[in-house]
Amino acid sequence: MLCWSCQREAGPGAFCVACGALQPANDAADAFSVLGLPARYGIDLATAEAAYKEQSRQVHPDRFATADPRARRASLARTVQLNQAWLTVKDPLRRAGYLLERAGMLIGGDDKKSAVGGGDDKRTAEVSAPPAFLLEIIELHEELRAARRAGDSVKVAFMAEEIRGRAAQSMAGIAQALDSGERAQLEKAARSFMAMRYYQRFLEEALADAGGGHGP
Amino acid sequence: MAPDVLFQIAEPGETRVKHACRTNAVGIDLGTTNSLVAIVDAGKPVCLTADDDDAGGADAGDAMVPSVVHYAEDGDVVVGADARDRLAPDHPRDTIASVKRFMGRGMRDAEATRRLTPYRFAPAATAADEGVVRFAVAGGRAVTPMEVSAEILKVLKRRAEAALGGPLAGAVITVPAYFDDGQRQATRDAGRLAGIEVLRLLNEPTAAALAYGLDKQAEGTFAVFDLGGGTFDISILKLEDGVFEVKATGGDSALGGDDFDRVIAESLIAGIGRTGDIEPHFVRRMLDAARALKEALTVDSEASLEVALADGDAPTRFALTRTEMEALVAPVLARCAGPVRRAIADAGTEPGTLSGVILVGGATRMPLVRSFVAEAFGREPLADIDPDQVVAMGAAVQADMLAGGASRDDVLLLDVVPLSLGLETMGGVAEKLIHRNTTVPCGARQTFTTFADKQTGFDLHVVQGERELVSECRSLARFTLTGIPPMPAGMARLEVEFTVDADGILRVSAHEEVTGRQTAIEVKPSYGLTDAEVERMILDSFANAEQDVETRLLVEQRVEADSIVAAARSAMRDSPELLTDAERDAITRAVADVEVARGGNDRHAIRAAIEELDHASKEFATRRMNRALEQGFRGRSVDKVDAELGAGKAGGR
Repeated sequence: MLCWSCQREAGPGAFCVACGALQPANDAADAFSVLGLPARYGIDLATAEAAYKEQSRQVHPDRFATADPRARRASLARTVQLNQAWLTVKDPLRRAGYLLERAGMLIGGDDKKSAVGGGDDKRTAEVSAPPAFLLEIIELHEELRAARRAGDSVKVAFMAEEIRGRAAQSMAGIAQALDSGERAQLEKAARSFMAMRYYQRFLEEALADAGGGHGP
Repeated sequence: MAPDVLFQIAEPGETRVKHACRTNAVGIDLGTTNSLVAIVDAGKPVCLTADDDDAGGADAGDAMVPSVVHYAEDGDVVVGADARDRLAPDHPRDTIASVKRFMGRGMRDAEATRRLTPYRFAPAATAADEGVVRFAVAGGRAVTPMEVSAEILKVLKRRAEAALGGPLAGAVITVPAYFDDGQRQATRDAGRLAGIEVLRLLNEPTAAALAYGLDKQAEGTFAVFDLGGGTFDISILKLEDGVFEVKATGGDSALGGDDFDRVIAESLIAGIGRTGDIEPHFVRRMLDAARALKEALTVDSEASLEVALADGDAPTRFALTRTEMEALVAPVLARCAGPVRRAIADAGTEPGTLSGVILVGGATRMPLVRSFVAEAFGREPLADIDPDQVVAMGAAVQADMLAGGASRDDVLLLDVVPLSLGLETMGGVAEKLIHRNTTVPCGARQTFTTFADKQTGFDLHVVQGERELVSECRSLARFTLTGIPPMPAGMARLEVEFTVDADGILRVSAHEEVTGRQTAIEVKPSYGLTDAEVERMILDSFANAEQDVETRLLVEQRVEADSIVAAARSAMRDSPELLTDAERDAITRAVADVEVARGGNDRHAIRAAIEELDHASKEFATRRMNRALEQGFRGRSVDKVDAELGAGKAGGR
């Protein structure tokens, strides 16, 4: 692509190789490539954070406050993309969901699709929760509600601990399955991912009374 | 919106052309009670103090300008200590204090404070602007909070220009972190009305952390507890290797020292047996008495003063002990507890792991506030910092960095959105697009479709807040998309892009995906001014305004002329095959006309020539755009198409 500023070949980086002008963001880039990371679940968060901050220093609008409007626009678009990428990558569950979506797995449920580019629509497979699992979750919720109504905080804490354990197990399963690279494993990961959503909602409800507590 | 249809693409929120030079950028703390301006001098931020001849009656050496504006019958405007101390007691209705409380707020909010504000509100001139508060002041004028704030900014600007010995290049103006979009827009508009290039709006707690962190070389996670005259902010920040990262923020943009004054005044009024309606002079005097007692009780355990309740009356004596005062204000102060808890939880931290609590704002001088903070965080707050000056100093550091003055390449500020942004959906439910405490700048995209055949317009209602229902959130603006190509219902795919910029201000742009057509967006802010209104106010102010506003506009117009001529030339060079001979001649003539006009001093002539060029090249631009889309730009971002077409035009908000 030609550089907007010097009209010469800009090269693949954020800055034009010829004149150093900041180039527009590439909308098609996925969250991992934006941060220069391999698209996998197992990543070193400290390295990722360092990459995020280093890139932020370079492209942040604060660096372009008095620059050409086109450079300022590129800076805004790139920083929006960078912040979104970091938001996606730093949270384990969001990272897992993003990788699943990227691999063409559609997760049933009420959550909206991510707005980040990079996902290809081919080979999509929709995964939804098995009825037996849903039934169990509904029963657990009823049990939780009864315990909360009765003010039985010990029971609530006990249930939360149980679900937290299950969530940790699911998360470990997702981690393993995602990086295995096998299609069959992906579907397993998608099912665990879906279960995680239910667990999270359960924990939110369980912790609602505790006040000031935060997620798993 | 500027009629720059040449190679089009309206970019909401972008100011026209920035042309700040590399120095003379200042930081401004536009406070509820007092305002300050600071610069970076020899690498250190310093607040500028009043000269001996400073307007407004300030004592020489005083850094704080009281945020009080008096409008005189003869059209004079007096700002500062003189307005507060000499004019307010006798002209309570014409002397506006704590105007920040009204920024970006509507009449309904203003009405809520009626009993204890001495002001008179002017009815809206038209139904369209009923959202905006207008104070009816002397000389038959009605002024908006933005205009009142602009008067304060002008005084600071003059002070800075006197100190710098030249015109101001730009300013970073601070805002409470918890200010919503409307309040931020209002602040930026005030800057424009004062003829100031607003380089950035910076959150006050972040500014404080920046000044403190750089000064003390501090690292770790800090809480900034900022209780000013009218606003309360709590921010949790991580300071590490020059990165100032806001983890969470919270607050109440209508909670501060003013509220303490109000409850104390209510108690004093009850103590002398006054009930029912009270008149403005009395309100002003009681609020002043309450403030004086409060300030005295910060040091002493008992205080008293005498006030003439009306002209000619014998003075009435009011006495209060610190214990009594604390009992009055404690319930108000308790409102800080919720936001503090939530911010700590949102940041995913615990009070015990904090490296320190930084106090900002005059109200934090009160012993009761200090003990409240100590209890809320389980530690004594840091006291080695001037709570009045630190915000302006941080803003000056940021301004210097933005203007490229300092070699602080290692410093990076990562701030957040204070309140979730959402869209009104069916049934009055607010669907969140961007969650609170998301790092800015950030964005979200949403695709909509039309629900009627040949529908060419679409309305979006953007709200801000944490509640589920639209009616419980704050209405920000209604966006009307027009220019959607007529298609059967459900066929159009409108991709709307929401971007929160580094100022925390929302921009909205939209295009129709099937045809790739950019749609026009009209913004109706719920509690602010439209761009056209701001422009008009700037024009209106020319009568008695400084020459430099006119000069600035002329310069901006020239810069715009240059960029549009360059764009036209490069387009003609790149795609001659898309032009008929007649068109080429017309555009060439129009380009020449722009250049002639540009050489003169009449910016309206330049504007007219630009519009002529726009008109002459409109067809050509459309063909270029269409061809570009056909050649595979389809589906790519507007930004990119825009950039590749070599046009860098920006419209109004």
